[in-house]
Amino acid sequence: MLRARNVSKFHGDRASLCDVSFSIEKGSVVGLAGESGSGKSTLLRCIQGLERVDEGSISNGGCAGFIFQDFQLFPHMTAMENIVYAPARQRRWKKNTSEKAAIELLDTLRIRELADRYPAQLSGGQKQRVALARSLILKPDILLCDEPTSGLDIATTGDVIDVLKSVENQKMTMIIASHDLDFLGKIADRILVLRRGKLVADISAKGVPNLAASLRPYYGRTEDAP
Amino acid sequence: MELGDAFFFIGGGLAVTFRLLIGGFILGISLGTAIAIARQRGKVGKNFATAYVSIIRGTPLLLQLGIIYFSFPGLLGIRLGIIGAGILAFGVNSSAYVSEILRSGIESIPKGQMEAAKTLKIPRFYMWKDIILPQVMARIFPAMVGEVIALLKETALIATIGGADLMRKSQMFAAEKFNYFIPLCIAGLYYYAIVLSIEWGARKLERKMVHAKG
Repeated sequence: MLRARNVSKFHGDRASLCDVSFSIEKGSVVGLAGESGSGKSTLLRCIQGLERVDEGSISNGGCAGFIFQDFQLFPHMTAMENIVYAPARQRRWKKNTSEKAAIELLDTLRIRELADRYPAQLSGGQKQRVALARSLILKPDILLCDEPTSGLDIATTGDVIDVLKSVENQKMTMIIASHDLDFLGKIADRILVLRRGKLVADISAKGVPNLAASLRPYYGRTEDAP
Repeated sequence: MELGDAFFFIGGGLAVTFRLLIGGFILGISLGTAIAIARQRGKVGKNFATAYVSIIRGTPLLLQLGIIYFSFPGLLGIRLGIIGAGILAFGVNSSAYVSEILRSGIESIPKGQMEAAKTLKIPRFYMWKDIILPQVMARIFPAMVGEVIALLKETALIATIGGADLMRKSQMFAAEKFNYFIPLCIAGLYYYAIVLSIEWGARKLERKMVHAKG
């Protein structure tokens, strides 16, 4: 279980997160919605420990994996090398153990034929799968995804849903920050909405016919409305 | 004047030129890396690095070479010899430029790369060795090749303290034969041939680093 208690985070004198509290059951898929600058990314970064919270606390109850918006693959390593690097260095896995695990993941994500390509030779969607495999090989308890659909076309966005659903079967907690409510509606069990750093809504996303319409009141400026 | 004799006599300076180039380069890289690291280590390190680079870049190499060769024996009791003084002067001078090249390289790596390493819990040492530095090396490579070529040409200053390098040998030959044009052209050919070899080797190496440029 992941629990955030009264979390606040300040950048200068502006509060990026303001007294945010929630808890997330193991295995659930939570969407993090809100307009640009509402604190979605900051919250993910605090959960991961990339940024320290100024007030309150977050216990993430285990190892977290992080998928960056721009993936941050290591450009000088092939897809395979990107995936097996962390287990080799951080857990001292033997080469064939980690390569076997990597190939299984590449198969699950249907990108086995891309193992020897460098990131520059991959499309956005393909990079994302490699980034996902790179995180999943460490078997995280929680997977944090920052804007997984930004910069991908509609067809690829459909792919992301498939890919994340296949991960979902592994009973991992997922927190996905996105401004794309249609996308969140298709994948999340529950939606948390942030607005100017405050948690303003916490609703079940299951069986809500038009999520965008029901969340409209929580969005501030009309031009950012979904 | 026998051209063959001239080539042979002037070529006798190659050993000195190469020793200065290689010694100066190794010292320059080592010191330059140390200065670049010092810059990352708190305020004292940063101020030291800034002052070091400013002073070394702000004074003539000829002056630095003179201080090391002529003044160190009297001031510090250290007598380095011509080659030793040359390597120290060229190395120290080069290190100031190398440290700045390294700094710009490190600053050009996106912060996300370090964050990605952090989220994968890669130990700090390996993050630098396997993830950050290979990318830095690829990015600064052209500037480093430029620095080596500049260093090669600067080694000609060793002639001012009597080192028998390519330049000095060509001057000696010229003085003996009362003909400057041919010996200087021959020295020029030697320098240019070394530069072309460095550039050829660099192109080969650079091709291997194509992916690390990001």
